[in-house]
Amino acid sequence: MDNTSLLNSSLTQTMDYAAPILFAALGGVMSENAGVFNIALEGIMRFAAFFGVWGAYISGTPWIGLLWGIGIGIVIGSLHAYITVKWAGDQIVSGVAINVMSMGIITYLLELIFKTTGYSPPVPYFGSSVNRIHIVFIENIPFLGAFSNLTILVWFAIILTVLMHFMLYRTVFGLRIRSVGENPYAAETLGINVVRIKWFAVIMGSIFAAFGGMALSLGTLSSFTNAMANGKGFIGLAAMIFGKWTPFGAMAASLLFASAQVIQLLLQVAASGFAKLIPLGFYLALPYILTIGALIGVVGRAVPPAADGEPYKKE
Amino acid sequence: MKALEVKNITKRFPGILANDHINLSINKSEIYSIVGENGAGKSTLMKIIYGLYTQTSGEIYVFGEKVKINNSNDAIKLKIGMVHQEFMLIPRFSVTENIVLGQEPKRGIFFDRKTAVKEIKEISDRYGLKVDPLEKVENLPVGIQQRVEILKVLRRGAEILIFDEPTAVLTPEEAEDLFKTLSFLRDSGKTIIFISHKLKEVMAISDRIAVLRRGKLQGVVYKEKTNKQELARMMVGRDVVLEIPAALVKRGDTITSVRNLTVKNNRGIVGLKDVSFDVHSGEILGIAGVEGNGQAELIDALIGFTKPVSGSISLSGEKVKSINPHNMRERGMAYIPEDRKRRGLILPFRIKDNMIMGQHNKKPFSRNGILNDMEIDSFAEKKIEEFDVRPRDIYAKAANLSGGTQQKVLLARELSIWHNFILAAQPTRGLDIGAMEFVYKMLIEEKKRGIAVLLVSLELSEIMGLADRILVLYEGEIIGEKKPGETSEEDLGLMMLGLKKKEKVV
Repeated sequence: MDNTSLLNSSLTQTMDYAAPILFAALGGVMSENAGVFNIALEGIMRFAAFFGVWGAYISGTPWIGLLWGIGIGIVIGSLHAYITVKWAGDQIVSGVAINVMSMGIITYLLELIFKTTGYSPPVPYFGSSVNRIHIVFIENIPFLGAFSNLTILVWFAIILTVLMHFMLYRTVFGLRIRSVGENPYAAETLGINVVRIKWFAVIMGSIFAAFGGMALSLGTLSSFTNAMANGKGFIGLAAMIFGKWTPFGAMAASLLFASAQVIQLLLQVAASGFAKLIPLGFYLALPYILTIGALIGVVGRAVPPAADGEPYKKE
Repeated sequence: MKALEVKNITKRFPGILANDHINLSINKSEIYSIVGENGAGKSTLMKIIYGLYTQTSGEIYVFGEKVKINNSNDAIKLKIGMVHQEFMLIPRFSVTENIVLGQEPKRGIFFDRKTAVKEIKEISDRYGLKVDPLEKVENLPVGIQQRVEILKVLRRGAEILIFDEPTAVLTPEEAEDLFKTLSFLRDSGKTIIFISHKLKEVMAISDRIAVLRRGKLQGVVYKEKTNKQELARMMVGRDVVLEIPAALVKRGDTITSVRNLTVKNNRGIVGLKDVSFDVHSGEILGIAGVEGNGQAELIDALIGFTKPVSGSISLSGEKVKSINPHNMRERGMAYIPEDRKRRGLILPFRIKDNMIMGQHNKKPFSRNGILNDMEIDSFAEKKIEEFDVRPRDIYAKAANLSGGTQQKVLLARELSIWHNFILAAQPTRGLDIGAMEFVYKMLIEEKKRGIAVLLVSLELSEIMGLADRILVLYEGEIIGEKKPGETSEEDLGLMMLGLKKKEKVV
């Protein structure tokens, strides 16, 4: 492999790793800008990772899997919204409950449907070389070439980031969403339907997280593994905070965390001499150490929406 | 023409008749004040008019037409606007975004910021309410934030504007500005309903004044034909001592002395420069001044929140070596903070918990780290009786009490801890006249007991009435000392504005 293709393939790999984190982070950005914590991102990713594979397994196409994943995203999002918006329940408790529920239910379904405990059988997926989107004429250009071989999910993550930025900061609807996250009582006195906006934001955020789950099981891998989502939902949450609750910030943070992952892989391969003496665990832990370091560096300055996490109760 | 009429409005809450057959008739283009003590039913009536509550019975007429107002949207459609006491603003949004939110100019789905900014400039010019449309609200002083609220209401086409205790959060200068605005709005044809319990303000700006007491309308009077004394009597239902009785006490030893105190504020600027004074036993020393001339720095240094840059503080005749709140209190300081909600009480806690804060780790309230509920309860029961705290419920949360009651709980606590010096920072801020009278009485009682009191206040009449000596702070320095008998409010006012040169200093 020459240098250009090593660079490009590493960058492609970085984007592959970043996509699930970015989807989760965007889900968080969406929900929290309307003032609802969503620490259920991890659980929603697990649900969608499984349902996506299940749909693809039955139909033989990842596209049907995608629809199944979106469907379960809507269901779980509605549950979270029902508890936290309709009944103004505690948002952390609801999120934890969904995460715990995802562990039990999915492990059970895996055994019930695929008769296995660790992995599902492989299914058609977006990451297969047939399904990747090839842009041949940029293949050999440094940097740009990284975009010549992406999955549809990665492209969608990029597009979604841009769309969300415009939605939040340029449209009337975005202004209203943010007003609900900042001061729902003020928004209400101005005739804005706070409850409806919160429902919308929670469900949309949950759908984004569902895409993140499928970016794991139908994007980078071709099957569901029982360890999913492997903490990616929580790293997404960290990316959201690191990115100061903005879409582009979340994207930058996701790429940073993913690049740590890829650098770790490269270091393992390239390690020689003294570096060989460093235990493997250190390399594996590197992305997480970087995550913690980044958060310590930024956390004092990152300010969440003012009414983030506060249950909204009408007078 | 009648702008607003309410006929036989009654509002019943479980156990309380908040409004009892109230009739009001408010003309177009007048400033109509509604006064009453906390809990008299002013806010309830306004909430009914603004659609936040529904009346139990009675009718509302707006510009001659009978209307039903079910929510604030209905009120806005009827051209009724409300400037809430606690601003309904979003600090991180710009002035423009705050004003147009909910009725934004659009291009397709996009927010048309340019048009919005232009619109804000227009109305801000028309009503002489200057604002920077692009500035974020969090960077604005409170007075300007209120302006944003007024603009928000005006942009929605309000003809009848309700102001719910608008001066509670303002400095005296900001309040002056607001009064000019209100007169201007009245003269340009708007109808103003002004809710307040500050008689001075009401007498300054109203055309007519309605007085409520315990949910009932006591009467409506023209400003020209009444005076503060009469209004106070109507509000409270008995004669109120607006003049503070002089209490002659022989001044005793020096309790507290401050020497060459220089203090920086949290922005790193020197806010208090080389200040020295003594407070004696049986004396109330008043600190007068326009807000922001060093009062906050003086208070913070005295209670020990801020370490002075230089200078010393002596309490009980002894120099305090390490200045922090614990040491100050141990040496006999009681503290009545100006912001009782932030510094005085823990709002989610019950009355009984707030009563023992600061002594919670001492006998008999706790032993070996375990709280003794029986002792705490009996102490709290005794104190709410002694200080006439209503409701007589030691389990009531501090957050649910009126301002006056909160202040009583605070006083009950501070005055039951051993002390020989009271630092009182605007102790009557936001209180109605009944509660104000109570605070004055307590301070005079304490003085008679031989306690030294330092009274920092923005209300000149309060300082003139209570203090034995008055120091005037201007730009962080003491520029004069006066005795109340030898000066006038005008004289002090000139000194406070720095228009009179430095005089004799202690």
